[in-house]
Amino acid sequence: MSAGERRVYEGRITRIVRRAPDTRSLFFSLPAGERLAYRPGQFISCQLPVGSDILTRPYSLASSPEDEELEICLNLVPGGRGSAYLFGLGVGDTVRFTGPWGSFCLDAAPEAACIFVAEGTGIAPIRPMIARALAAPREWPIALHYAAAGRDQVLYAEEFERAVERHACFTFSPVLDGSLRAVIERTYVAGDADRSRHFYICGVGSIVTELRDWLRATGYERRAVQYEKW
Amino acid sequence: MVRLRIIFENGDPERVVEFDPAKAPFQHDGLPGSILDVLLGHGIHLEHACGGNCACTTCHVVVKSGFEKLPEAEESELDLLDKAPGLTPTSRLGCQAVLPNNCELTIVIPRFTINLA
Repeated sequence: MSAGERRVYEGRITRIVRRAPDTRSLFFSLPAGERLAYRPGQFISCQLPVGSDILTRPYSLASSPEDEELEICLNLVPGGRGSAYLFGLGVGDTVRFTGPWGSFCLDAAPEAACIFVAEGTGIAPIRPMIARALAAPREWPIALHYAAAGRDQVLYAEEFERAVERHACFTFSPVLDGSLRAVIERTYVAGDADRSRHFYICGVGSIVTELRDWLRATGYERRAVQYEKW
Repeated sequence: MVRLRIIFENGDPERVVEFDPAKAPFQHDGLPGSILDVLLGHGIHLEHACGGNCACTTCHVVVKSGFEKLPEAEESELDLLDKAPGLTPTSRLGCQAVLPNNCELTIVIPRFTINLA
């Protein structure tokens, strides 16, 4: 497909769910007969009419490809024109978008232990990746380290806790005290000499690239450390 | 001043823009003064699905001349370029390649991107 010929979808908001203070999920349905084929972890690029501009704003899909609806999960960003626009929409309103986009994804069954590291709404692309990893026939160790500012901002917590009960291979560790880097260092670098694990890191702050650089510098292969920084 | 010549692989007429980089940003997406910023600010379309946040490769451009004038790509850009279709030794992401003052560059905007990265 050439530039300028992108398919534009029009999603209709079917539900709005409050996830945390100033954080909500928007669920979209597409017109009958349309379906978006995407990989767990990919994002859509929303075209938002704000004032006289059309803003391009990417949002990771927090839903899984098998789900009926598309879900994005976002914060209300102080001064953010895109998030303010989306927070002003209601059920029945529509959003135009292109996609899916992005190479931060987990599609095939894991071939090694998977360590997922999320910060805030960076959990959005991680969530369907974990679902895909847990659905694989062979159960590699799968861990989620999720940094949030407080217990009430650990998104999808109940879902991950249920997954722990169902899958012996899965561990879920909220990090609420700002010690994310120390936890990763203690567990996966200082803890042993195993460097076969695969990392998937997503967040909004410099912690994402800090962890990337540091894991690669301590022996993990470049392609074993996948990340997305928003 | 900077002189930027843009060739479109899809056959659209080429464009030349001249601008003062000190006036960056020219709009709101990509690094200020980046190829993406300059193009959009001068009414020239360049795909940027991630909003110019260095999270996809849709703003991939090939630098035909002047590549050495650009600051070196950082790790995040290199990781994404690694996945770009049609990668060349002088590929850059438009949202990350900031144009320095007093240079002349020619870039090609590829015809195809893939609906993945």
